[in-house]
Amino acid sequence: MLSNLERVLFIVLVIFSSGLSFISYSRMFKAIGRGTQPINWIKVIKNWPKGLSVFLSQKTLFKSRTFVAIIHAGVAWGFSFYLIVNIVDVLYGMVPDFHFLPNHFVGHAYRLFVDIFTMLVLFGVLYFLARRFLSKNEKLNINEPVLISERAKKGIRLDSVLVGTFIIFHVGFRFIGASAEIALNGNDWFQPGATVLATLWIGLEKENLVFLEHLSWWISLGLIMAFFPYFPYSKHAHLFMGPLNYMASVDRRSPSTLEIMDLEDESVEQFGAGKIEHLPQKEILDAYACIMCNRCQDVCPAYQTGKELSPAALEINKRYYLNDNLKDFSEGSSSLESLSKWMLSEEAAWSCTTCGFCVDTCPVGNEPMVDILRMRQDLVLMESSFPRDAMEVFDKIENYGNPWGLSPQDREQWTDGMEVPRMRDKKEAEYLYWAGCSGAYDDRGRDISRSVAKILNESGVDYGILGNEESCTGDSARRIGNEYLFQMQAEQNIETFKKYGIKKIITQCPHCLTTLKNDYAEMGFDLDVIHHSQFISEQINEGKIKPKKNINDDYTFHDACYVGRHHGEYDAPRNVLQSVLSDEAKVVEMPRNKDQSFCCGAGGGNMWYEIKKGKRINIERFEEAVETGVKKVATSCNFCMIMMEDAKKVTGYDKDMEVFDISEIVANNL
Amino acid sequence: MMKIAVLIKQVPGSESPLSIADSNVWLDEEKVAYIMNESDNYALEEALLLKEGTQDCEVVVVSLGPERVKKIIREGLAKGADRGMHLNINSNDVTDPLSIAKIFADALKSENFDLILSGLQSDDLGHGQTGIIIGELLKMSTGSLAVSTKLDGDQIAIKQEMEAGFFQNVRMSLPASITIQSGLNTPRYPSLKGIMGAKKKEIKTLDIDSSDQKLKISKLYLPSSSNEITMIDGSPDQIVENLVKVFKSEIKI
Repeated sequence: MLSNLERVLFIVLVIFSSGLSFISYSRMFKAIGRGTQPINWIKVIKNWPKGLSVFLSQKTLFKSRTFVAIIHAGVAWGFSFYLIVNIVDVLYGMVPDFHFLPNHFVGHAYRLFVDIFTMLVLFGVLYFLARRFLSKNEKLNINEPVLISERAKKGIRLDSVLVGTFIIFHVGFRFIGASAEIALNGNDWFQPGATVLATLWIGLEKENLVFLEHLSWWISLGLIMAFFPYFPYSKHAHLFMGPLNYMASVDRRSPSTLEIMDLEDESVEQFGAGKIEHLPQKEILDAYACIMCNRCQDVCPAYQTGKELSPAALEINKRYYLNDNLKDFSEGSSSLESLSKWMLSEEAAWSCTTCGFCVDTCPVGNEPMVDILRMRQDLVLMESSFPRDAMEVFDKIENYGNPWGLSPQDREQWTDGMEVPRMRDKKEAEYLYWAGCSGAYDDRGRDISRSVAKILNESGVDYGILGNEESCTGDSARRIGNEYLFQMQAEQNIETFKKYGIKKIITQCPHCLTTLKNDYAEMGFDLDVIHHSQFISEQINEGKIKPKKNINDDYTFHDACYVGRHHGEYDAPRNVLQSVLSDEAKVVEMPRNKDQSFCCGAGGGNMWYEIKKGKRINIERFEEAVETGVKKVATSCNFCMIMMEDAKKVTGYDKDMEVFDISEIVANNL
Repeated sequence: MMKIAVLIKQVPGSESPLSIADSNVWLDEEKVAYIMNESDNYALEEALLLKEGTQDCEVVVVSLGPERVKKIIREGLAKGADRGMHLNINSNDVTDPLSIAKIFADALKSENFDLILSGLQSDDLGHGQTGIIIGELLKMSTGSLAVSTKLDGDQIAIKQEMEAGFFQNVRMSLPASITIQSGLNTPRYPSLKGIMGAKKKEIKTLDIDSSDQKLKISKLYLPSSSNEITMIDGSPDQIVENLVKVFKSEIKI
């Protein structure tokens, strides 16, 4: 189609664009390469089916915002189809008399698809631009008091305009070009949209039509050449960095279980992440995969209650920091400022409850929570800068083996007046029942432990407890960032497990569960750990215990993050609850339930210190329970129990509402 | 060079299970969770702050006790003290402040410290005299109950807490021995680098002969507990009213 001069010009443009692209892309990958824990790119490439399936199915988008996800799928499929379209168009321009299978059904289908997808993409992008710039959509804002760089605030709007305009012009002019060709050569019923558009050109001279076709070709493909080098600076890079990020994802035992630090290695100068180059390569890649959709922020309990934390702002700040310093940083200069100055404030880092919702909901597989955990490690291990109350908890765990700071000799007091077998008497047992610190020292926790023991006794299973030989698993220490204290606690408990040959553990504390099951495995000690809800559910199914269906009141159930998102168990506690409800009673779900459940506010060490900013997370959650109209709340986590009991008192529902652990309800109805 | 000694004592933690040993004169140490004496921790932090504000300054942590006290010496080193001295004693018989002060004075004499800081009193025996007696034995200036300290050339200015909410500013010449009140600073948490580095720092051990003692514990016993508990029930207003009555008429606050 093109003239010889145009062909030469296009080749020059391709060379020029390729050169610029080479510079910007190599900077981007060098910047990623500045991180620790090198990405194994061979392994990443071998993961291509994973990236492709996420890209084609768009399944990760459908976890939330269904309507937006549908539009996005149209744009994504359309745009990826456009990769083929662009190649065909280049051939059409560069190869004289080239037409893609003009009389073959494949060619017909191709032209039909292009026509449909063109309209889909145009409609989709116009919708997205309207959503961003015309509607006042709160979800696209990042509110006070979150730290977000001024550059990012302006940059996001500018980038959105640029990317939106690019797509509309690229696709739009391709559409106009196709219509001009139709006006020249006659109607094509395989391109209904373009054929309709071509009616606009009726009456134009042939040479004008040829000019229009050439102009359209140049704008459409010239924009690709202009945009390609810009991608590493634009959030639109997510279209390939997103799937790539998925392919590079790290298999963690649980979302908050990081790799074990080698504390004895004297060559290690830095623990945790204080600066961007301390982050693993994968977590720098995260910033390039982020499309700044704020889905993580929508679900973050800290953000939703007005605290300084927005996981989205974390990734956005990271990306704009890279954009601003890309040349120097990629060439190896040390970043001067610590992460807490520009990526995430210290208070924001302490506001994270490690509920894992941001990681679970991110369509491109980012892990802002993991960045936060690494920052905390730096703040604790390198800077000694953390909430005063957390320091007291460290001392209490170190000195007394529990965060309550109560006497280790009182640990088994909860068993007073009951028959609970001790490992020190039995020497061996099939199951260890692990009550944990909350199950041993907190008043309500003790009620729960007694209920679990009652059920264990009733079921006749062979079990024992460690009693005073138990010590804190180190969960809070590890989530707060004190790896040293965690490892001390883990080593001590692992010694005890070895002494009694313990392989299987039942616990009602989801935080102990995660730590014993995942973090201890990471330490090299494998245990088979189940949650009490799973054990009780199993015992009911096998007929070992037969709860009476005596309960006539409706219940609502609050999912614990560390049973649900971190352990993947949603059904067992509900089955247990159902087993005691009469035909008159039912479980009324809160709007946010199962994998969409909202944190109680106690995870990630937040049990032990208070972030004063904003609304208290437990009150937000308790109010959701109140709104169901049900008077009874069931939980399956000691921390959730403490949080719900507290919120119940603070909100004035002390007399009207009741909170029970599922084990208490069962134990009372045996 | 400025040389500061911090005297730290290992005491049973307040939540530690306490039971009396068969000898009836001391605790059953097997079950005790030992921690650094609270006010000593503040004294250590004060010394580290002085070190950070002074060029060329050495902080030495010194503790008297059996092998187990090395744990708190390491803790002091992890927080930033330069070296440790362990005055190794294998019995719990020496309990009077004069005998203890003599042991410290003998051990510290040759070091010629410019400043000796110690906690106001120990959380176990609570005599509150050791730091002052050491100062007297070593012919140093002495000050007690300091709530702030400031080095000024060869002098130190301290603010002392008095009775009934009064304070007193005192300036004295070095060398000095000063006891520190809890709460005057925020004791730090050791960084991991500090903890790892502490393993390589020097701890000098001096074996102490414990024959000299002025005081002997004849019997240690738990206070008898009373079971008289009165529950005050009612609405919050009634509870407050009744509680005020009890405060006024029965406890006589």
